[in-house]
Amino acid sequence: MNRRLFLGQSTALLGLMLGVQGAVRAADLKTAEIIVVGAGYGGATTAKYIRLLSNNTAHVTLIEPDAIFISCPLSNLVVGGSRTLEELSTTYDTLRAKHGINLIRDLVSQVDPNKKTIKLGSGKTLRYDKLVLSPGISLMTDSIEGLAQANASGATLQAWKAGPETIALHQQLKAMRDGGVFAITIPEQPYRCPPGPYERACQVADYFKKNKPNSKVLILDANQDVVSKGALFKKAWAELYPGMIEYRASHSVVRVEGESKTLKFDIQEDVRADVLNVLPPMRAGALVVSAGLANSNKRWAQVNFLNFESTAAKDIHVIGDSAQNAAFMPKSAHMANQHAKVAAASIVAELSGWEINPSPVLTNTCYSFVDAKQVVHVASVHQYSAVEKTYKTVAGSGGVSLAPSDLEGTYAWGWARNIWADSLS
Amino acid sequence: MNGFYRQLAGMIAFVSTFALISFDAIAQNQDAQVLYNRALAATCANCHGTDAKGIENAGMPLINQLTEKNMLTQLMAFKTGSRAGTIMPQLMKGYTDEQLQIIASVLGKK
Repeated sequence: MNRRLFLGQSTALLGLMLGVQGAVRAADLKTAEIIVVGAGYGGATTAKYIRLLSNNTAHVTLIEPDAIFISCPLSNLVVGGSRTLEELSTTYDTLRAKHGINLIRDLVSQVDPNKKTIKLGSGKTLRYDKLVLSPGISLMTDSIEGLAQANASGATLQAWKAGPETIALHQQLKAMRDGGVFAITIPEQPYRCPPGPYERACQVADYFKKNKPNSKVLILDANQDVVSKGALFKKAWAELYPGMIEYRASHSVVRVEGESKTLKFDIQEDVRADVLNVLPPMRAGALVVSAGLANSNKRWAQVNFLNFESTAAKDIHVIGDSAQNAAFMPKSAHMANQHAKVAAASIVAELSGWEINPSPVLTNTCYSFVDAKQVVHVASVHQYSAVEKTYKTVAGSGGVSLAPSDLEGTYAWGWARNIWADSLS
Repeated sequence: MNGFYRQLAGMIAFVSTFALISFDAIAQNQDAQVLYNRALAATCANCHGTDAKGIENAGMPLINQLTEKNMLTQLMAFKTGSRAGTIMPQLMKGYTDEQLQIIASVLGKK
């Protein structure tokens, strides 16, 4: 064999292999600009876990408009008045200081997937190699006639993002006469936090039972039945609040008249209430929609479930409530945290030049308070199916509580304190 | 240097190139597997803390004092139903035995 040819071939082959590797890997883990937008359960967890899983070598910028984190889970207890918003709040100080995350307090106004840049509210433009969007949901207020005006006048509230509206809703309940009616309307699935509206009904009823026992809670559900923990909620309503909570299925609100506090439906008779909590249909966070990433029914972002990369734009990952879910995958805080870990691990793997994990796993756990202390749960495990390219719940796994209990109330607080730490510190 | 040695050196260079690439590939695969394993174990962190460092006195059972062996025994007991619980029996049935072994090896006390 010709030696020169032999050496030449091996050198060329080596060069080819390195070249291919170089071509595939445009940025590496240490030099890549990784930007995460939204510091809720999804975004904060992504930022933290990219740092952890890269052994603190990756550079991560996290952009969030709010000064502090306020938990949506447990915030129904604030609506009912048994807890305060302060108990559900966490600063971003530890996340930033302990994990070396570059936290920018700002809004992202624009994403340019072609130039791979984002524009901040301050006007500054940032370049990214990897972008993770976790902006939660946006409310489709315009889909219900009169809702925008009713919201503006304060006649209706949503309180579907924990914060000032959560307190305002409790204040409206406090100001309501005994004998009044609280009405909550629920949009068709999918929406953020499937059991949330039913838990809220429990918390309002708990407040009424203690303070305004002649009052009523009216649940007006666009779905055909309670969509989460149905048997448990119905039992709790009957046993804990007899005669106080009325559930009406298949009620789709089409119009709100703020001045007279009246709800109009597609078929059924009008409903008048003293406190109106109108939850309109929801879709991905506004940034996901404006960036052209809401390619599932113009509402949610379709993603590759192996790494949560958008199917509409390379190097943009969409996680949490904004993502189009797999079957039986709820839009929950726990799930957003789990999406985050899959996305973080895949980004670290990709930027390291490794294969991404071919078989990720997600779990979900959701605790709901049926009064101030007793809790019921729903849980599930979702394994990735390479054949179907989606997550499948495992037959025989998951389930709900047998009955409400104080023990699960303790676990619910334990879950909250641990997930806050896992996401934020 | 005569032709034989030159050829031998060339062959060594050629073989070394592939050996380095394959060693590199093995090392990368190992690093990737460590990453996958950490990410799998992180599915537990929501309730039991990052790297099993749960919040003390927060109401959730702490798992950071369990040895790898003891943790796997408990996880399997939840899975098979020999240990009762609220949420753990339901969750453990969703993991394969191999996944539970990995979780115990990552989170169990060394």
